[in-house]
Amino acid sequence: MTRTARFVVTLTSAALVLTTAACADGSTPAATGGGAIDQKAPVTITVGNKPKPDKPADVAAFERNVKKFMADHPNITVKATETAWDAQTFQAQVAGGSLPTVMSISFTEPLNMIPNKQLPDITDELKLVDLTKDLNPETLKMVQDDKGRIYGVPFEAFSVGLAYNRALFKQAGLDPDKPPANWDEVRQYAKQITEKTGKAGYAQLTKDNTGGWMLTTMTYSMGGTVQSPDGKKSTFNDAPAKKALQLLKDMRWTDNTMGTNFLYNQEEARQDFAAGKIGMIMQAPDAYDMCVKNFGMKPADFGEGALPQDGGPHGTLTGGSIKMINPKSTKNEIVAALKWIKSQEFDKYTTESLAVQNAKDTIADKGFVGRPGITPLSQQTYDQYNKWREPFNNVPVQQFKGYVESTTSLKLLPEPVKKGQEVYALLDPVVQQVLTKKDADIDKLLTDAASKIDARLAR
Amino acid sequence: MAVLTRPSTAIPASRSRRSPVTWYRSGGLSSIVFALPLVLIFLYFSWGPIVRGLVLSFQKNNLVTTPEWVGMANFSYVLTDPQLPQATLNTLYFALLALIFGFPVPLFLAVFISELRKTGWLYNVFSYLPAVVPPVAAILLWKFFYDPSTSGVFNAILGWFGIGPFAWLNSPDLAMPAIVIEATWAGAGATSIIYLAALTGVRTELYEAAELDGAGIWRRVWHVTLPQIRGIILIMMLLQLIGTFQVFTEPFLFTGGGPDNATTTILLLIYRYAFINGDFGAATALSVLLALVLCVLSVAYHFMTRRWSTT
Repeated sequence: MTRTARFVVTLTSAALVLTTAACADGSTPAATGGGAIDQKAPVTITVGNKPKPDKPADVAAFERNVKKFMADHPNITVKATETAWDAQTFQAQVAGGSLPTVMSISFTEPLNMIPNKQLPDITDELKLVDLTKDLNPETLKMVQDDKGRIYGVPFEAFSVGLAYNRALFKQAGLDPDKPPANWDEVRQYAKQITEKTGKAGYAQLTKDNTGGWMLTTMTYSMGGTVQSPDGKKSTFNDAPAKKALQLLKDMRWTDNTMGTNFLYNQEEARQDFAAGKIGMIMQAPDAYDMCVKNFGMKPADFGEGALPQDGGPHGTLTGGSIKMINPKSTKNEIVAALKWIKSQEFDKYTTESLAVQNAKDTIADKGFVGRPGITPLSQQTYDQYNKWREPFNNVPVQQFKGYVESTTSLKLLPEPVKKGQEVYALLDPVVQQVLTKKDADIDKLLTDAASKIDARLAR
Repeated sequence: MAVLTRPSTAIPASRSRRSPVTWYRSGGLSSIVFALPLVLIFLYFSWGPIVRGLVLSFQKNNLVTTPEWVGMANFSYVLTDPQLPQATLNTLYFALLALIFGFPVPLFLAVFISELRKTGWLYNVFSYLPAVVPPVAAILLWKFFYDPSTSGVFNAILGWFGIGPFAWLNSPDLAMPAIVIEATWAGAGATSIIYLAALTGVRTELYEAAELDGAGIWRRVWHVTLPQIRGIILIMMLLQLIGTFQVFTEPFLFTGGGPDNATTTILLLIYRYAFINGDFGAATALSVLLALVLCVLSVAYHFMTRRWSTT
């Protein structure tokens, strides 16, 4: 071939690929498939969050549930996958179109996904399967647009408290039944723990968006906010966040009570906490499960108090999980998916025999019954549910006393409404710098972070 | 004479354009049909993603809703992102450190191993072993070595000599060098294998001649070995430069870009755009820019080193 001919061929093939790619672009369907709902038509759904094979008991229980559900609903076929939400990979999964029909995601996601049409409108289907009435209207707001349409099902909630190691408390001469109630006490206790035991008195999450997440929590507890209610501007560049960072700076550089590791994500921190290397750390009470089950912490050593406050009760950060449905699902798939969600996550709250059975199953699978938390259902329903299950409790509930009391006294403050995970990601380095650079300028750090975040929010 | 006439009749025939019929008869069509699937598959899977990335960089696209053309907005957004200068500096810093520390190590290893006649294979195995360890496992292992407390492996060893303890990954100043050390450890074996192969191509007479002239080992390496394998050295240096500009796994797993963005590289930034912010336009825009820079770098490198090149 001559040079010109070669050039022409290359150009043509490039153009060919370009057109193919451009065609592939537009062909992703957005909204739900149409048609009337037929509850008897055969339908197949894939469900995420199947436990990983390293937890055989959980897998067995999950498979049992699937089998039972399919027996109860002969027209629905359930296929399970291990797909689970992860702040780091979720967008890739959404983009790849590889999401199952149903999976759990964090409260921080739906508010970005609803305007992006990445979640289907399930308001009518929810009514059809009679699930709407069980949901707590407050948490339901997380998955509603301004017209009140519903795009997901909140089913789990947490609020942050202060996890502490009771054994280290005792060694340091502190009363393990009296966790610190305010940040001054935290600082004091941390000093005492480091002095007497040589361990980190207090530790802070800093990595993989958890740094921003916990700075937000701390800011809330000091009476501040992070984002304006409409999500258009950042609001953390003021006294409460500064106070929070100053406290961290003092504990790190003046008291030196924060140990040596300042790059913690949630799992790494729980590991060190379970290993007795950390005296106190901000954690939701579900940390108990991982610390005891995965990292072998003694149940007697785990304590959970209220989130420390600064000057009067301000509140604590709350979040949780919702069940999302794949935006590419047909109406029949949505109904089937909601039936699955109802049978797995909600029926146990309203039926005594199921609540008891669930407690028994959990114990047989070496899980935990009675570990305190908060609920996306009405408090009444939740209390009733806990009463049914009380005889089966295998968690030392009295060691969570401080936390349990705070669930009624502390206001529950939601996470930043817009681009929550992005805001957290941009706040991570702020916390990291305060903990790793002795001369960190807190005012400048916050001003810089605010301008970066405002630019992101405006995009 | 007969010998001369045959070519003289053949030349005009080959110079004139063959007619489609002769082209078809000589198997032209079947060769195209034969090659077509391969070419199409190659184009689709190798060049498809590149073109798709290029298209994406001009769009606002979350891959679910209909994409929207935004012109150069993604490019201006990533170029004005306040995180870009730091990520660029970090990437350059990593490339520089890897060049200073990481580049000579495999070369030294290869020369060293090739000098050992009997036990060379053993050192060969040892130096290649890190390349067999899966990167994620290796990094988790090194994280353990870099434990910042006094009981951490490195700190404990250094402690015997009264040095440290160091914060390693927890220090904005030490984090990047620490990552380079691990990356060198992980990459040296594979690179030194390539150098070793090149070394076997150096003619032994050259060494003998040098030895007769009274050259010691260092002079032999400097005057014979290195000039003889300079072609490979130059290529490996370019490959390493391109590789270091795309460093991702190590900072992602070691530090997540911290502390205080000290190890946030360009690729990590791209990753965050795409998979944390769901902003595929910005991610591909920055990728395209990085690819352009690397193209320019490669061309410039080619011209700068042409004088020394053997090819």
